[in-house]
Amino acid sequence: MNDDAVGSNNPDDSTDFGFSRVDRTAKASMVREVFDSVASRYDLMNDLMSGGIHRLWKRFTIELSAARAGQTILDIAGGTGDLAAKFSRLVGPDGRVILADINAAMLEVGRDRLIDKGATGNIDIVQADAQALPFEDDSIDCITIAFGLRNVTDKATALRSMLRVLRPGGRLLVLEFSKPTSPLLAKIYDQYSFQVLPVMGKLIAQDSDSYRYLAESIRKHPDQDTLLGLMEEAGFVNGSYHNMTGGIVAVHRGFKA
Amino acid sequence: MTRHDPALLSAALLGAERALNQAILLAPTSHRELEALSGTLLGIEVTSLELTLYVELVPGAEVRLLNHCEEKPTAFVRGSIEDFTALIASDDPAATLINSGIELQGSSASLIHLQQVIAGMDIDWEAPLVERLGDVMGHQIAEALRSVFSWSEGARKSLKRQLSEYLLEEGRLTPPKLELEHFFEGVQTLSMQVERAQAKVERLMAKAASRRTQ
Repeated sequence: MNDDAVGSNNPDDSTDFGFSRVDRTAKASMVREVFDSVASRYDLMNDLMSGGIHRLWKRFTIELSAARAGQTILDIAGGTGDLAAKFSRLVGPDGRVILADINAAMLEVGRDRLIDKGATGNIDIVQADAQALPFEDDSIDCITIAFGLRNVTDKATALRSMLRVLRPGGRLLVLEFSKPTSPLLAKIYDQYSFQVLPVMGKLIAQDSDSYRYLAESIRKHPDQDTLLGLMEEAGFVNGSYHNMTGGIVAVHRGFKA
Repeated sequence: MTRHDPALLSAALLGAERALNQAILLAPTSHRELEALSGTLLGIEVTSLELTLYVELVPGAEVRLLNHCEEKPTAFVRGSIEDFTALIASDDPAATLINSGIELQGSSASLIHLQQVIAGMDIDWEAPLVERLGDVMGHQIAEALRSVFSWSEGARKSLKRQLSEYLLEEGRLTPPKLELEHFFEGVQTLSMQVERAQAKVERLMAKAASRRTQ
């Protein structure tokens, strides 16, 4: 488990930024710089890096949300809005989807994409920090955070904030890179992440450092069981997770009692 | 939930869903019939593959194939891959459903209706071919495809009829359907008569026992 996992209990007041240690107060702005840099080509890079598989991971996450007409869904770190667009159809005109992200550049790309797809009317776009969500208590039916939790400085605080805004019975879904279950796959994945990924980042987004950070931040993120423990510590019940693509990615689910 | 990797299963379902929805768009009659079935949710558990999936019919005659669903299905069926293949190809889905190893929970009517719509899908290949290849080439290829499908459908029906005739008439390996139904009716009548006789005997024995005690 890394230092982020224990949140504000970290005594030296530093936190991980990829494989580096940085001041806790500086991490958010450093992460923002990374995403400012990659925002315009974020979806294209995701498609190239994952071979399009990220769409399948997100599809299964949407199924696990069990989203229904009339519900309120909060998609944190929703960036370019691909989950929000699908939720918008599922909740219908009587429902509401909130696309939230700490990064204004990502939200701008997301807003434009949603308008292009015609997904408007039931979507609100909010710039918000996952650690201090600006929503009422017990107001959200389902929260999703896809590939965002690892960039949050204090994960425990963020999870407690999510629990606060969820309605009793509501659910949180965390889709995030995790730990491959096979040692062989882990070795191949390491080679890919640290050799291929930065080169692709340089060629396509002209930014190898940002993609190196993405690879490093994945390695520092808690593994499946540690994250499940964090969710339980934050107060989520009936927690479980599903490994996907050999554990490269896992989707965790927890409910508010 | 199944033991399969959800991403792999999602890939397979996504491909099948796109193909199915494209086919529905090219079959106007089925499109209308599926629109009427909108809201139907069918759960399918294929025991031999340890696989559970859901088929949801949404407005616009679209089909969604799901790996995970928490809604209560209109009908839930459980069986082997052979059972489901037989059901899809069946001319008499109600009889196949009763006689196969498929377990059914919920409404059989929606399942049978859906099977009939799928089995009766008449896909118009010409429209997309003409759109991509032009009037002349598209029409020629569509004609060729129609001939192939028509021939294979005719061959399938002919083979089925000849096989059935051989089993019934030449080989005398299976009894005709009517004969079998008559036999089952006879067995059922005999069974009821035996039950009545048994009840009568029990009543007489009880009466005799009560007289002895008096």
